[in-house]
Amino acid sequence: MSTHAGLIRLYWALTAATFAATTAMVFLYTPVEATMGPVQKIFYIHLPCAINTFVACLVVFAASVAYLATRQSYWDDLAYAAAKLAVLFCAVVLLTGMLWARSAWGIWWTWSPRLTFSLLLWLLYVVYLVIRSAVESPSRRAVVCAVYGLIAFLDVPLIHLSTRLMPDIHPGSIHLDPTMKLTLGLFFVPVTMLNIGLLMAGLAINRKRRALTWTDEEDVEGQLKESVA
Amino acid sequence: MRRLLGQIVTLTGKDLRIEARTRQAIGLVVVLGLLIVVVLGLGLSPEQMGGGMGGGISGGGEAKGDTLTPALSLKEGEGAATSGGVASEDAASGGISGGGGDSGGGGGFAATAILWVAYLFGGVLVFEKTMAVERDDGALAGLLLAPVDRGVIFLAKLLSNLVLIAGLAAVVTPAAVLFFRFDLSAAPGSFVLVMALSILGFAAVGTLFSAAVSSTRLQGGLLAVLLFPISLPLVIASTQLLARLFRDGQAIGGLGLGIILAFDAMFLVVSWIVFELVLEP
Repeated sequence: MSTHAGLIRLYWALTAATFAATTAMVFLYTPVEATMGPVQKIFYIHLPCAINTFVACLVVFAASVAYLATRQSYWDDLAYAAAKLAVLFCAVVLLTGMLWARSAWGIWWTWSPRLTFSLLLWLLYVVYLVIRSAVESPSRRAVVCAVYGLIAFLDVPLIHLSTRLMPDIHPGSIHLDPTMKLTLGLFFVPVTMLNIGLLMAGLAINRKRRALTWTDEEDVEGQLKESVA
Repeated sequence: MRRLLGQIVTLTGKDLRIEARTRQAIGLVVVLGLLIVVVLGLGLSPEQMGGGMGGGISGGGEAKGDTLTPALSLKEGEGAATSGGVASEDAASGGISGGGGDSGGGGGFAATAILWVAYLFGGVLVFEKTMAVERDDGALAGLLLAPVDRGVIFLAKLLSNLVLIAGLAAVVTPAAVLFFRFDLSAAPGSFVLVMALSILGFAAVGTLFSAAVSSTRLQGGLLAVLLFPISLPLVIASTQLLARLFRDGQAIGGLGLGIILAFDAMFLVVSWIVFELVLEP
């Protein structure tokens, strides 16, 4: 157990160290972008967070399918932990994107495809968290959430395509200096480590919470209530 | 196959017969839809709608759009546009929504969005009601014990929901056309097609989730919160499609229609498969 805790501490220390190192690279190593100026440095955190949002959504989907197939609470706990991270990373994407938009276009918000897509994606997974607190019975909650996690993920490409019907001003691809590419690539490391670390921590918390609340009795109670209703 | 159809007809017939005798859902849903349209009508002026009146008022745009046609029709267009200012209904239909598009540019086609608000809220109520019927007197347990495939139960419920939403749409759409002077005359068939396909997908997801949350307490707001974000691709695709059709005269098709069809196909199949996993008495 103690080696386990030590490993976790080491993991977080590594995450913090790479985060500090890549942040230093962003400010000391990469050049200032010619047209957009220093605000372009937001990009180094914007893109890794966007990619990690999708990773988290994918985990929610996989865990939801696994729950529906096996009905084991482990998958429900994993999906819950991943959904929180999807909302968290998507919120970072939205906020950094808004800061960038204010500087580049002079507006905080416009209904362009990618902005709308990020907002809708964020809402989609906020709703996942909302239904978790809305359904009382744990077994029922797990089923509803798993179905939602499944449908929501299948919905993501459709939302993405449908927002493309709107007029666009978002940059598709920016020309990147090799130093910029390297820094961007390296910045994926701490952000992804943060994602994985928080996912594992969230899962562990959910498992312990479930163990503490004496799941079996609660389930029986929920089922009794349902059969009476 | 014949047996399957027979089962679906029996189950749907049961739902609709209950509805015909109690009139629990349809009255409530239609009145809610009308109220939504009225409330939106109080807040929005006809000019903001982009159809009907808006088309009549935008005289300049109308004339510009007609410059390619002979001078006679140009004068006609101007005449219709000026009398449109006096809100005569003929002028409004004369200044076809194409005119609104020419001058409007940014002005959207609000009909779809307003109707979607009514359809979404009304639809959620329909799904709740048709599923609530099964909760009383352990009806769901009886249904599950019946020797039918769970997929058939899904299809039957979906069909009942579609019939009820069609009833809602049949009342709310003409009302909105009347109140807001939406001009659907340019392509009524395409409008009905796009809306019908969208509602099919919405009903598929709605039927699945109404079964999933049917035995939970807080289902009122919950079902709406679940369904709205999922249905957004349909709302975006159909609004964009119909805006282009009525404002710019573009035929429906391409990416927009593809999204709606993909939504329908994907969620009909997924809901049909997942439905039996969520049904619990």
